[in-house]
Amino acid sequence: MKRNQKLAYLFIAPSSLIFIIFVFVPLFEAFFISLTNMDIYMNGYQYIGLKNYIRMLSDSRVWNATKNTIVYTGIEVPLQIGLSLLILFFMLSNNKFHKFLRTVFYIPYVCSMTAISIMWAMILNKNSGMIAFMLSKVGIEIPNLLGTQGYAMGTVIAVSVWKTFGYTLTLLSAAALGVSQSLYEAAEIDGASWFQKFIYVTIPGIKETIAFCIVTTLIGALQVFDQIYVLTQGGPLYSTETLVGFIYDRGFKTAPFDVGYATAVAVYLFFLIAIITFILRKYSTRREEEK
Amino acid sequence: MTKKTFEAISYVALIIIMLVVLLPLFWLFVSAFKSDIDVMQWPPKFFPTEWVSTQFKYVWGVLPIPTMLKNTVCFAGAVTVISLFFDSLAAYAFSRMEFKGRKIIFGIILLTMMIPFQIVMIPIYLEEYKMGILNTFLGLVLPRAASAYGIFMLTSFFSGIPKSLDEAARIDGMSEIQIYLKIILPLSKPALITLGIFHLMNNWNDLLYPMMLTSTQEKRTLSAGLATLVGSNAIKYGPTLAATVIAIAPLLIVFLFGQRFFMEGIATSGMKE
Repeated sequence: MKRNQKLAYLFIAPSSLIFIIFVFVPLFEAFFISLTNMDIYMNGYQYIGLKNYIRMLSDSRVWNATKNTIVYTGIEVPLQIGLSLLILFFMLSNNKFHKFLRTVFYIPYVCSMTAISIMWAMILNKNSGMIAFMLSKVGIEIPNLLGTQGYAMGTVIAVSVWKTFGYTLTLLSAAALGVSQSLYEAAEIDGASWFQKFIYVTIPGIKETIAFCIVTTLIGALQVFDQIYVLTQGGPLYSTETLVGFIYDRGFKTAPFDVGYATAVAVYLFFLIAIITFILRKYSTRREEEK
Repeated sequence: MTKKTFEAISYVALIIIMLVVLLPLFWLFVSAFKSDIDVMQWPPKFFPTEWVSTQFKYVWGVLPIPTMLKNTVCFAGAVTVISLFFDSLAAYAFSRMEFKGRKIIFGIILLTMMIPFQIVMIPIYLEEYKMGILNTFLGLVLPRAASAYGIFMLTSFFSGIPKSLDEAARIDGMSEIQIYLKIILPLSKPALITLGIFHLMNNWNDLLYPMMLTSTQEKRTLSAGLATLVGSNAIKYGPTLAATVIAIAPLLIVFLFGQRFFMEGIATSGMKE
């Protein structure tokens, strides 16, 4: 038994080591770095207490990034879940065509967000894109979608939904296939319409999966970066700059690379995600108990 | 509404959505074969007026795309293989062996899934800088060499394999390492493939992580390299199309052959790293 124990520790040693070096130590370092005025070259930095956090409070770019992150999340998540539910409604009979479609809808999810964003930037281009051309034929002239305030965020959200709804749909349809057929039959005997069956049988049957999708999509949305980096670089005029974009910009892209400040914003994001996730979990379990 | 009308409406809706998904991708693939004049002309044409491979030749010969493709394959491939190995070793210990602190350590590893990458991103960068592995292959692979999600998934899969199998093997005098290699791993092939594809896809497509840890184009993966090329306007319209196709085609081919494993991976879990 003793030898067996040693062997067990040996088995978990490689991954534990990785987690210690690349998760736990960095996590503690992050709190420390956020209390310093360290730059990326780590020369002569000092402990400055909570100054970075106080600076954040009066930094309009941080407030703006917070607002943009919340706007993005608040629109993208319901859109993605809602669209997936709508498509699921049309795909309930799960015939061959529906199975084929599930594969098709999953294709964008397999592609990298970088590639997808580049593709959409070209298609939406005002001067050479297909969309502008097709709309011009029916007399609509589109503005420069990614370069105009008020359109840029909406376009980013649309591209994000286009790319990832297949993921949500796959999860939801896997859950929907598990809903007992007898429940549908009972509803049919009661004279339920297609829509009623979906609302009163399918949705309650997959509500745990819906909750799971909401939480994971939401956590991902609060960390949105890739599509914005490629599509708008946070512009125009910071109108699509999110918190992760801001952290990357301050830490790695724009001099003086004040990683101390960037890390303070990362710590703030960490708590923002934790609090929102916590409230959502609490809310969904409480509703569960009420039922 | 009768069943017939409902079916008709749903067919129309689904076909429209299918076109919205497929047409842009199809446009991307055919446009990669357009000439420079073709891609910029107004009115734009969906298909090339003349099918040419100049964009691919340019991208392959002039831009560091082949190097980036190699980096992507090596990075995503190495992470997948090493992480599968480390994850399965740990999962074997957690599901099959008794040792002090097993539950607590497992719980702590699960907790790491809750930590968003952005908070450890800058410290990891500074750590790698001090270790001197920034902008190296090793520096790119190491932080991803083990995955909490992978350990979690494999532990639950291994726990589902009947214990009687390894009891019998133990009586036959097999060591733990032999049981791991000869009994548990072969029985877990579907789970390992699913997890492997999950790792492959996430690392192949990742942007922020490889972009942060690399500083020269020669070390970048396709996602990161392409994003910076486009971001700095260092690449023209036509070559961008070809490079984008090169970035997504390999995974798409893997997907078309092994879609079951892609979709099962998320259907059983749905977590993102």
